[in-house]
Amino acid sequence: MPSPAGYAVAIAQAALALLLAPGLVGLIRLFKARLQNRRGAPVWQPYLELRKLFAKEVVVSTNASWLFRAAPFVVFTSTVAVAFLVPVLAVPSPFDAVGDLLVVVYLLLLGTFFLALAGLDPGSAFGGMGSSREMTVAALSEPTVALAIFALALGAGSTNLGQIVARTMADPASAVSPGYLLAFGALFVVTLAENGRLPVDNPATHLELTMIHEAMILEYSGRYLALIEWAAWLKVLLFFSLLGNLFVPWGVATALTPASLGWAFATLIAKLAVLGVVLAVFETRVAKLRLFRVPELLAVSFVLAVLAITVSFLVR
Amino acid sequence: MDSAFGQLAVLGSSLVLMCGLTLLWRRGSSAHIAAFAAQSVALAATAALIAVFTGSRELWLVAVAFLGLKGVLMPILLSRMDRRLGGPRELEPYVNTATSLVIGGLLVVLAYIVTRPVLEVSRLPTRSGMPLAMGLIFVSLFVIISRKKALTQVIGFLALENGIALLAMLGTYGIPFIVEMGVFLDALMGFLVMQIVIYRIQETFESIDVEQLNRLSQ
Repeated sequence: MPSPAGYAVAIAQAALALLLAPGLVGLIRLFKARLQNRRGAPVWQPYLELRKLFAKEVVVSTNASWLFRAAPFVVFTSTVAVAFLVPVLAVPSPFDAVGDLLVVVYLLLLGTFFLALAGLDPGSAFGGMGSSREMTVAALSEPTVALAIFALALGAGSTNLGQIVARTMADPASAVSPGYLLAFGALFVVTLAENGRLPVDNPATHLELTMIHEAMILEYSGRYLALIEWAAWLKVLLFFSLLGNLFVPWGVATALTPASLGWAFATLIAKLAVLGVVLAVFETRVAKLRLFRVPELLAVSFVLAVLAITVSFLVR
Repeated sequence: MDSAFGQLAVLGSSLVLMCGLTLLWRRGSSAHIAAFAAQSVALAATAALIAVFTGSRELWLVAVAFLGLKGVLMPILLSRMDRRLGGPRELEPYVNTATSLVIGGLLVVLAYIVTRPVLEVSRLPTRSGMPLAMGLIFVSLFVIISRKKALTQVIGFLALENGIALLAMLGTYGIPFIVEMGVFLDALMGFLVMQIVIYRIQETFESIDVEQLNRLSQ
């Protein structure tokens, strides 16, 4: 029976994820700017952006229906719900009983789905293009997320994210097993695709014919835009904590003592920073893929995930 | 000890296989050559790993030979060939990239099914890597039949040879050195012969698209 303290920690870690997300994105932007010989905005710039957007007036197209107004809230709440299920600081979370990895995948897809609908809703040409592209990418990348984590779930004997983490900590040798490495590769590629990062979509640009995420949210302004942006940043953080905590679980607190939670917080920051640097270097090195070659990249990650499952199933 | 050996052997084999799958993914010749070089280095590392754990001195020689000849010499020869041939950088393969990757994945699963009887009787710690080596053999054969550019087919053949060498090392800890060298020299000779043939094709057809060989030239 989970204690009240367990619930408190679970809620606190979701809130922490929400608070850290803009900082993480600011950090990635800063690293990228430095790599490109620019000085770059300070790390806390995304927080200022959020404050500015929340204070701004909302302009909505006269063609937009209720869906357009509802979508930001659906996107935001579904992403926050995922934050309760992903192991960020401590395992096992009392919310593990509520949902496992399948729920995580479907909640993420729910947000994507509503965002795509909202892109279509005001009837602008850009929004429709963005939605159609986003759906193409999502249809190819969501199965890979599930498959890659399934490869880990096979070893743990449970689709529960908390249990997968606990089991990897109990058996450190499994973290260098080929199944894990293949799954990590698959999940990394999917992280890029799901979050609109570079070889798939360019997060730094606002007016480009090939944009995906930005095209869908072009009609949004004010607090709606703030919610969508915040949800997108939170999604980056959640994918990073999946990558960091599922594959390199050391540091995640298994007991609810202040010391272990503090250590978990420190390692979380370190993992996020390392992944942020990796992403910034990667994004600086690669060029954006032509849209029609994106399915090939996602096919690579899908095959990696399939191999990960095959290897971990048969080597078990 | 044995389990760590097994894990590392599987890790090495999957790296070798990954480089083989890269041949299906990338299109440029230079990317293919780089993938082949990386594959040979991974193969040499796996050979060295087996040599460390089994204390075999011959395998050390094999590892060094792999590293020197396949990891360095052949990639240099291949890129020289690529520079001299020039021509179109990309040729549309018979099977498109996404489909061929999925087929590659299926071939690896098939390799697991095919090698299952062997895995059941084998007691070697390296046995888990054998399906991956078999998978690389299948994938390389698929590269040879599904790509049009002669240079890519040659690289596919060399990757196939890597797969066979890997399978031999994992399954038997290295066949006798003299046999290994014989096979190796065969592959080298084959490579040189193919190089000459490719130059001839280039001279006759002004292209190394093997599809043109289907038509009779006057």
